[in-house]
Amino acid sequence: MLADDMACNARNEYPAQVFNNENHKLNLYGDNVEVDYRGYEVTVENFLRVLTGRHENAVPRSKRLLSDEGSHILLYMTGHGGDEFLKFQDAEELQSHDLADAVKQMKEKRRFKELMIMVDTCQAATLFNQLQSPDVLAIGSSLKGENSYSHHLDSDVGVSVVDRFTYYTLAFFERLNIYDNASLNSLFRSYDPKLLMSTAYYRTDLYQPHLAEVPVTNFFGSVMETLHTDSVYKAFSSKTSNNKINSEMPLNQLSEHDELQKANIQNDELKTEKQKCPYTQMRVDLHKKLEKLENVDTVVNLGIAVMLLVVMVSSSLL
Amino acid sequence: MASLIRSWIPLLILQSFLVAIAFGSKEAEEFSEALLLKPLPDRKVLAHFHFENRAPPSNSHGRHHHLFPKAISQLVQKFRVKEMELSFTQGRWNHEHWGGFDPLSSMNAKPVGVELWAVFDVPQSQVDTSWKNLTHALSGLFCASINFLESSTSYAAPTWGFGTNSDKLRYGSLPREAVCTENLTPWLKLLPCRDKDGISALMNRPSVYRGFYHSQRLHLSTVESGQEGLGSGIVLEQTLTVVLQPETTSVETNMQPSWSLSSLFGRKVVGSCVLAKSSNVYLQLEGRLGHESKNVDTEIEAHKLWKNADFDLSLKPDRVLRESSSLLFIFDIDKSSDSEPFDLGLTWKLPSKWSCQQAPLQATRFLMGSGNERGAIAILLKATESQEKLPGRVVTDGRCTIKANIFQIFPWYVKVYYHTLQIFVDQQQKTDCEVLKKINVSPSTDKVSSGMLEMMLELPCEVKSAAISIEYDKGFLHIDEYPPDANQGFDIPSALISFPSHHASLDFQEELSKSPLLSSFKEKSLVRSYTEVLLVPLTTPDFSMPYNVITITCTIFALYFGSLLNVLRRRIGEEERFLKSQGKKTFGLKQLLSRLTAKIRGRPIEPPSSDSPAAQSSFLSSKLIFKIILVAGAAAAWQYFSTDN
Repeated sequence: MLADDMACNARNEYPAQVFNNENHKLNLYGDNVEVDYRGYEVTVENFLRVLTGRHENAVPRSKRLLSDEGSHILLYMTGHGGDEFLKFQDAEELQSHDLADAVKQMKEKRRFKELMIMVDTCQAATLFNQLQSPDVLAIGSSLKGENSYSHHLDSDVGVSVVDRFTYYTLAFFERLNIYDNASLNSLFRSYDPKLLMSTAYYRTDLYQPHLAEVPVTNFFGSVMETLHTDSVYKAFSSKTSNNKINSEMPLNQLSEHDELQKANIQNDELKTEKQKCPYTQMRVDLHKKLEKLENVDTVVNLGIAVMLLVVMVSSSLL
Repeated sequence: MASLIRSWIPLLILQSFLVAIAFGSKEAEEFSEALLLKPLPDRKVLAHFHFENRAPPSNSHGRHHHLFPKAISQLVQKFRVKEMELSFTQGRWNHEHWGGFDPLSSMNAKPVGVELWAVFDVPQSQVDTSWKNLTHALSGLFCASINFLESSTSYAAPTWGFGTNSDKLRYGSLPREAVCTENLTPWLKLLPCRDKDGISALMNRPSVYRGFYHSQRLHLSTVESGQEGLGSGIVLEQTLTVVLQPETTSVETNMQPSWSLSSLFGRKVVGSCVLAKSSNVYLQLEGRLGHESKNVDTEIEAHKLWKNADFDLSLKPDRVLRESSSLLFIFDIDKSSDSEPFDLGLTWKLPSKWSCQQAPLQATRFLMGSGNERGAIAILLKATESQEKLPGRVVTDGRCTIKANIFQIFPWYVKVYYHTLQIFVDQQQKTDCEVLKKINVSPSTDKVSSGMLEMMLELPCEVKSAAISIEYDKGFLHIDEYPPDANQGFDIPSALISFPSHHASLDFQEELSKSPLLSSFKEKSLVRSYTEVLLVPLTTPDFSMPYNVITITCTIFALYFGSLLNVLRRRIGEEERFLKSQGKKTFGLKQLLSRLTAKIRGRPIEPPSSDSPAAQSSFLSSKLIFKIILVAGAAAAWQYFSTDN
């Protein structure tokens, strides 16, 4: 839910790009972003409808939450807020008891297994004061009476690009690679009150598992870089050697081109060594031949016709 | 033996029948992509991406598609859509410099925001329900708030003024809708190669959204097969029109900037989409007047067309076509690949100027009047310089006339008075019958439906300017109906001006028109232009008033009831009296003494409760001492005087 259009705003010097840092290295508004509710549709009513699932019949599936009793939900809210409220569109407020009520309804209707609420506003911890449902974990960027601050100003774009709490959260995740098994405890302990200029408070009284045992991937996902290789089976044997290369060098130094080249070299070396099983070789050749044929459908139809002919001939001979 | 043969024959017939079905082709689905590049006279470059996907008619209900997007075919089947167009636009089409008469601008110069119109194939009573469900489905598909068009206050049912004449047509427009990456991504996901391969891989989002005008359009129409039992085929046309400004380092301002695909988009074409039947890049140059030779005989002649004194192309075109004053270079990108990317560049060597052909009349629209109560809307049609040279002038009764259709939607809070319609031709007011040939008015109903106006004007060919004005009153909305930024104003959607007697088409005289882009240009399309969106400031309430009213009312209630209760129930000094009545026995002596002294003095008996006990006691004690001193002094003086005898 995005209330304002920031990326393609006429005042944005860098159209279709939203950065989290002044160095403009990471574009958060990538090519595959999808925004389901935006502009005037971001209202407290729609937000509560999404949480509780009470939509009109005509609302399409992409605008519904569609969660069930095994889902882990991450709810991240940011903006302006205060003592037990969060501001929506400068015109309405979401109150803490409304949120608690919605979560209670969700629990009764079994719409989640675990819910994590992350709030980055002023006095954020008050927003989840009234929560009572089990299996809910909540973290806010500041306590009652404290403000949450933005991190730094980007003089090119003209506004502060990111808030402190969000900046340090993103920094934590950027440091991880796919083999780290970071837990929520390490995430929550990485917040330094001196750097945040506020106290990041979290409540775990409604959440049973120990935070040190819960991996961050229970709630957070990531965008994976996919590398295309031409051969299917050989890639598996070269995967282990590729992985070793990856874990040694820091990721941001390897470019995609380098990785591809390394993978190709590995494949060529292995090709000469490997002995080919005749059966698989025959199947691969047949597969290649079939791919070259333009109209596979006619070949199959011909085959069926020939088979029918054979069957009729054999049945008439009997 | 004969019986065996007889048993064979039906089997043979059955087999041949089956074989015929197997081979008997169904036509296949086709997909083709094209990119048209055109330098514009004001130092900008137009890039027009065109993707066409055809699904043939088939008799299977849940048919399989391997190229056609399933989301669209499900949409067509579920809502029985016959024809539909959805466009997302930002920026305004500059008719003066970019042209208004060619098929590209007639079809792709769209109003700002979202525009949706659809023709349905359902009974008349169900058209509105189908429209409502269609808007919701599209809003989920394209990540936009198209569902705001569901309420009857935001759409209209045009008839002849719109171009498509049908009573099952619904039209709606949202001028304030933002267009960004999240709208382009699902649009690209409808293509077989998405944005990974072929021409669509050029679409670098920052480059597209940096343009002066960008408009993505989706047009689908069903093709009746004519045969019984066969479903209808669908033709899906997706176009993206972007006007970009190439960065130029040259200082001279009268030279056109040189550009290439990599300087415009930051990317090059590396191979065509393998699923595309045809994949071409076209470069159209206008204003190239030269000898009308279709066949270019010598090698040098051909070479001169794309490398001459005026400009240079970086790659050799596969074919060159001509059409009156424009040249079309065709490049086939099937041969390009990762190792030889296709990067077409155009370098200008000499300054050149040309102008694009414009529509006969250029339309602008503006608001008149001031204040929050009433105003007027005016449409101004001005003749352009290309008016005399255009075909399509209708001669009726010896007079030459230009026909213009005007179609407008008014939201219900802009209450238009249709009787105040005034038409001025060349600054003279004309009575309506002279110029207005047909008019269709659908008045608005407060909070229920919007108003619609369709007019057909017949103006003389030599007209210099024509103006139409109409007055309106501003309505009031309920406080819940105001958007969060109500003080910005409210939008009146664009009006559509079309010229039914003029048809724009570009015919490049190609024998095999297998390119869908060129064949769409060849079809005669209606010349149309959209006017600006008007921003109407309505009276907005003070949104902090509910808070103010609650505060004032609570204060007044508190004051009123508080003072009432005080007056009725509070007794002042009640506490002292109570304490006094309790402490009366211990302090009786003091009171008696004070009463005696008061009696001696002749003073009235002061009520004991007027003074506080502390003050009373201090007062008594000082009075007592004074009396004692006085009596003692009087006694001493009497003693003195009495002992003198």
